[in-house]
Amino acid sequence: MTNFVQLILNLLIFPGGLFAVALGLFLMGIDRKIAARLQRRVGPPVYQPFIDLVKLTRKEMVVPGTAHLQAFWLAPLLGFAGMMAAVTLIPIAGVYQGFKYSGDLLVLLYLLALPAIALMIGGSASSSPFGAVGFSREMVMMMSYELPLLVVLVTIALKVGLATGGIATFSLSEIVQFQLENGALLFDYTMLPALLAFLVFIPGNMGVVPFDIPEAETEIVEGPILEYSGTGLALFKLMTSLKMIVVLGLAIALFFPTPLGKNFLVNLLWFFLKCLVLMVIAITIVRTSTGRVRMDQAFKFYLRYPTVLALISLVLTLLQR
Amino acid sequence: MSSFLKIAIRNLLKGPSTDPYPYGETFVPKGLRGKIKYNAKACVACRMCEHVCAGGAIQIREVSDKSGLEFILWHNTCAFCGLCEHYCPTKAIRLTEDYHTAHRQEDKYRYVEKGFIKYVPCASCGTPMVPTAPELLNVAYDNVNKDIERLSKLCSKCRKEKVCG
Amino acid sequence: MKKLLQKIAKKSPWLYRINAGSCNGCDVELATTACIPRYDVERLGCKYCGSPKHADIVLITGPLTARVKEKVLRLYDEIPDPKVTVAIGVCPISGGVFRDSYAISGPIDNFIPVDVNVPGCPPRPQAIIDGIVEAIKIWETRL
Repeated sequence: MTNFVQLILNLLIFPGGLFAVALGLFLMGIDRKIAARLQRRVGPPVYQPFIDLVKLTRKEMVVPGTAHLQAFWLAPLLGFAGMMAAVTLIPIAGVYQGFKYSGDLLVLLYLLALPAIALMIGGSASSSPFGAVGFSREMVMMMSYELPLLVVLVTIALKVGLATGGIATFSLSEIVQFQLENGALLFDYTMLPALLAFLVFIPGNMGVVPFDIPEAETEIVEGPILEYSGTGLALFKLMTSLKMIVVLGLAIALFFPTPLGKNFLVNLLWFFLKCLVLMVIAITIVRTSTGRVRMDQAFKFYLRYPTVLALISLVLTLLQR
Repeated sequence: MSSFLKIAIRNLLKGPSTDPYPYGETFVPKGLRGKIKYNAKACVACRMCEHVCAGGAIQIREVSDKSGLEFILWHNTCAFCGLCEHYCPTKAIRLTEDYHTAHRQEDKYRYVEKGFIKYVPCASCGTPMVPTAPELLNVAYDNVNKDIERLSKLCSKCRKEKVCG
Repeated sequence: MKKLLQKIAKKSPWLYRINAGSCNGCDVELATTACIPRYDVERLGCKYCGSPKHADIVLITGPLTARVKEKVLRLYDEIPDPKVTVAIGVCPISGGVFRDSYAISGPIDNFIPVDVNVPGCPPRPQAIIDGIVEAIKIWETRL
């Protein structure tokens, strides 16, 4: 029973639910502020995403007459719920352990696909031509960034599995535990290509410039989320903020989970700092210093560079054995 | 990407270059063509401004009790081109550097520049006429002497009689 | 509680622009207001959004040409309430230099309830910011 209560708390308050939403929104606010500073602007206040959410809940909801209603409302809920579940799987070293199942990395991999699927369902259910274009682009985008991600995950699973005597371990807590004992994978030269591949994967998955092709607001007017207004849009915003935590948290758990001492709060702050640095490197600077690429360019890019980098890591791992 | 990155980092170091406008002061470039100011004292009602106005914003018409001419300029159709100022012989019409044009819908038709030119009676026959502005005399004559000033108080008919006999 | 939410929500007006047959002069000025660091509207919490469904403050430019009229009205109806309309430039307000042309169905307030006017041909970016600030004041009462 206490286990169950704890699970619910983990899902709704900490580290999932409220905490993750607040952290994600705050990170997005910082992202907007830093992006503005990189462009010599003052930018909005850091709490702007919270204000946006409050505003969105007070707006009227417009549903297109030709939309498929169930799918239209299911899509944001699906994406939001999937991300809520995914956050609870992310371990924060020294703060939160995550689940001790042997395959939570695989579950996470599937859950990470949910936001894209939610966008696809929402885009196609809205019966808007822009939504349909966004749908197809989102699908191509997903196909292109899933492969390097998969190779990176397999590499790390193999690395940790081989080192601990098995074949491959798909348990995030075991991977974190291994790094706590043997040093972070960030400082392992065989893992550097994989880290680079993961850094390239982040902007693609988060849908920021230069890979915001499915939601390109200047050409297909925000694509799948075009027809959402009010609370529906707010749910998509929440989903994006949670996805930010999931992706950044996953990167930290995979490459640099090392905690700072034993203090709970210090570790939490340390996690936040790591998230912040990673976000600035992988999202903010990338999106302010590039322009949007074409769909085929993005597809070729993902199949070429990150995949090859991740494969190099895989080969090095196997050779090292 | 690398060249943009260099610019982005430099921007970060330089700090924002934003004007503090809605909260603070801003600058006004010299020669900005803003809201229009009309000086009825200098106007001679030649109606050149009404003729050249691109947006048809200027109207000069006699008021209903025939006591003078009314000048109306509706800023909401004015293109701020400055032709009126350019063609005004006495520079009675001026473009200021005031650009604060935002106003609410209820003030839409009140957003005008108005002026009133009161007729004065002719010094000899008493017919109401548009007063001759001293600015016009300065434009027309090198030095304005007593004779010219006396003539300027007369209506066109009396003036003709006086000069040509 | 409602007052508090109103106070919070008014800091996040998202802008949407409709080009009702404008000459692009005012649109350039709008782009200037949004994109140039000197007149950064993001300070006010504004954000240009691509979709009319996300918009709070509608900026209309252009004299509403006969061809574009139906589309503009449809677009305007798609914007969820509460919304505030700002007419940018003299064309949507009165027709400007195009007034009484056979190709113009404006002025725009014959068809759409306009709240704030920002005349100018085109208005200065500061004047546009003035208009947005005025629009936020009206928007707060409607939230």
